[in-house]
Amino acid sequence: MLAASTTTLPLFLALSACAGPNPLAGPPPLSADVRALLRAVAAEQNLISLYNRTMAAYSALVPDLTPLLAEHRAHLAQLRARIIEPPGKSVPGKVTSKPAIPGTPAAALAQLRTAEQAASIAQLRRLAAASPSLAQLYASIAASEATHVTMLDVRSSR
Amino acid sequence: MPTMPATAGELQALQAALAAEHAAVYGYGVAGALLSGADQARALTDWQAHQEARDTLQAMIIKLGATPVAASAAYELPFPVRDAGSARRLAAALEDGVTQGYLGLVAVTNQTLRTFGALAMLPPAKRAVAWRGSTVAFPGMPSAR
Repeated sequence: MLAASTTTLPLFLALSACAGPNPLAGPPPLSADVRALLRAVAAEQNLISLYNRTMAAYSALVPDLTPLLAEHRAHLAQLRARIIEPPGKSVPGKVTSKPAIPGTPAAALAQLRTAEQAASIAQLRRLAAASPSLAQLYASIAASEATHVTMLDVRSSR
Repeated sequence: MPTMPATAGELQALQAALAAEHAAVYGYGVAGALLSGADQARALTDWQAHQEARDTLQAMIIKLGATPVAASAAYELPFPVRDAGSARRLAAALEDGVTQGYLGLVAVTNQTLRTFGALAMLPPAKRAVAWRGSTVAFPGMPSAR
């Protein structure tokens, strides 16, 4: 069976000018797989923000949502570990999407469910341009997010 | 069902996924005998799902001109299975193994097979959660959980 590793082959993130044939030409453009990785990082940051704000709004949901949030933090850590940041530069940590938290816990859970489902589909769309190792990470995260949908359905049905 | 010329690595990954499905079919036979009621009904449904997945993989491998790996006569269980609790843990472990088997397909460069593997991971990952009652951060990646 092919190895499933989350630690091999980190991708270089060209955030600064680097030594090359023409140092005055500016930083090289980001490759497709690095751009996809940055989008995956941003998506995890958005999900983490959504979980944090949902839990802040509805404390009764905290016990059920805490394990799912912890897994998103693990996803983010693994995705960020694939990026080598040049000294003095870092991967943007900004949340790019901040939807309002709905007015009821049920609606808030439904919003999380929709976000998880969309995130899972987005991970699967990243497979084509990814290295084998990174594709496995995307697929595993997609599966994790699909299981989160299941858990949110269970919570909603109570 | 994907059709494509396959490399040795792709065939190897398909065979590994098939081997995991064979193990699951066997293991559910053990687990199901120790379960009752709704759990036994769920085990039966899951057992049938693995039989269908096994048949799909076998057909894919035959279509590629290779011989599908055969099921073993018996499998060593990962831990003693003597009651309903251990049977449920076995079911979760079987699903983890199948998820891991399909993750191997995601590492191939053939995009059709890669997508097939990624999509095939979803049902066993969800079934593992149903049996375990909790999620894991990285389904199919035991070293990263």
